[in-house]
Amino acid sequence: MFVAPNRLFGVLLREEKNMTDGLGALMTIFTEFYYWITVVLMFLIHVGFCMYEVGASRYKHHQHTLMKNTMLIPLVTVTWFFFGWWIYWAFPTGPGLAPSIMNESAALITDESLFSATWYVPTSNLMAVNLGDHISGVFWAAFLLFSWTAASIVSGAIIERITTFAFGILAIAIGSVFWTIDAAWGWHFDGWMLKLLGYHDAYASGVIHAIAGGFALGVLAVLGPRIGKFSSSGEPRNIGPRNPWFVAIGLFLIYTGFWGFYAACNIPIFDLGPEYGLGDGVTFYTATSIYVTPTTLSGITFNFLMSLSGGLLAGYWVSKGDPFWTYSGGLAGIITASAGNDLYHPLQAMMIAAFGTWCAYKLHYYVERKFKIDDAVGAVAVHGYAGVVGLIICGFVLWGYPSSGYSVGSMWVGTDYAPINPLGMFIGAIIMFGVLGFLPGWILAKILHGAGKLRIPREVELAGLDYNIIEQARKDERAVG
Amino acid sequence: MAQVTDWIKHLTTDVDAATEGVQVADIYPAVGMEWMWLTVAVVFWLWFHVSTGAGEAEEQQKLARKRPGANDYKKNIAEW
Repeated sequence: MFVAPNRLFGVLLREEKNMTDGLGALMTIFTEFYYWITVVLMFLIHVGFCMYEVGASRYKHHQHTLMKNTMLIPLVTVTWFFFGWWIYWAFPTGPGLAPSIMNESAALITDESLFSATWYVPTSNLMAVNLGDHISGVFWAAFLLFSWTAASIVSGAIIERITTFAFGILAIAIGSVFWTIDAAWGWHFDGWMLKLLGYHDAYASGVIHAIAGGFALGVLAVLGPRIGKFSSSGEPRNIGPRNPWFVAIGLFLIYTGFWGFYAACNIPIFDLGPEYGLGDGVTFYTATSIYVTPTTLSGITFNFLMSLSGGLLAGYWVSKGDPFWTYSGGLAGIITASAGNDLYHPLQAMMIAAFGTWCAYKLHYYVERKFKIDDAVGAVAVHGYAGVVGLIICGFVLWGYPSSGYSVGSMWVGTDYAPINPLGMFIGAIIMFGVLGFLPGWILAKILHGAGKLRIPREVELAGLDYNIIEQARKDERAVG
Repeated sequence: MAQVTDWIKHLTTDVDAATEGVQVADIYPAVGMEWMWLTVAVVFWLWFHVSTGAGEAEEQQKLARKRPGANDYKKNIAEW
């Protein structure tokens, strides 16, 4: 049964009448400002990642490490404008996997539907200053900041040996193509994964973290470890972090930015009465998740802090007080609980976070020893493994909850929405981490490797990417002195 | 180029019934020429990749030929 959303962002995106009515205008401007603030907060995630990477890299690689992560900002932003945002709105149906509730077609959504991708081609007048649209730009930017995060997660894992050129290509791939496909499939209210699988991932355990972790692992498998990371007998050696203070401040900034991330995953104010067809005159204003299912900003604040705490406690315990893993544990905790943090009890969020952090830590060292994977900052573990664990747990804890408010049916039918369930979430985790993460990362890295563009020369890696910069600084110093 | 030359006239021009007498639409210059800007931007974006990729490879090949040791950078660390 199709129940077409009759208001959703329609009230915001096609808002002409709203802006001549005081209350409607206030709701629109509030929503505009709300998303704008989330963008500013999420900017801190990138500042944090930059500091974190510089802190984790060695002195002779500092500046190139910083520039690599900095340059993903323009590269992903520009491509997000060119085609990334269009993909999100075009691909919810697969295409071909489940029909849209907007137009009942399983093709790419490029017709004249209310939420069609046709509005978001780079030449659309909604992708610019338009007095008839206060929302597209800030919503575009909120998603863009998710894109930066996805690319930045990959950036940390591969420091000190990848070319900036190759990273730029990989950043565009994960930031403007693959994560936006998974967002269309598993995050969009019309996504086929909600309908067929009952997929639920409110704060992106899978759609950002698992996919980015999987992508990083795919690249690492081809890129190989840093010189000296493993002894001749294959024993891993510890390299870093070289500046624990930068790492600490960086991770604190990432925590701070995550507040914006969580807020950006919500719709701040929404009347579910007419949206759900609750009857004439029935109104119920609430915040909702990105799936347009009710939650509260207050409730998710409980869960954010309790999952952060669960992760910190587990990280401290399992690593025996290692600062790097304690801080990373806090992040892993939030990431693990994120899939269901719109509905969990805070104590559930805390315990789920602690368990996910323990899994991430153990899996990191298992994979490092077994497969000789050199993940310089633990990104695959903190984002990838914790994200996968979080999705699977969510399938059990939220088993039976509707994945959408629009219509509830059974798995595999595809014309309505399957409820949340363990099998659907497990398959969803495989899609996120493996199909859209690891596989594209591995294939693209293979292509770049085959073209001789993936890894810096061995001599440069030994000398340091910044060798020439350091040498020039010394010459300048002598000249001035 | 100018899309708007008179704000009062612009904001009070009916474009359709929904706007209730208020003009609410795109106000940037050169409306209708977006494809031209897009083409220029895409060319610039592609040129950036080619140019910086080639520059990076050349710089690294030069450094690789010098073959500095793993600790040679230490003697060049500036103290200012």
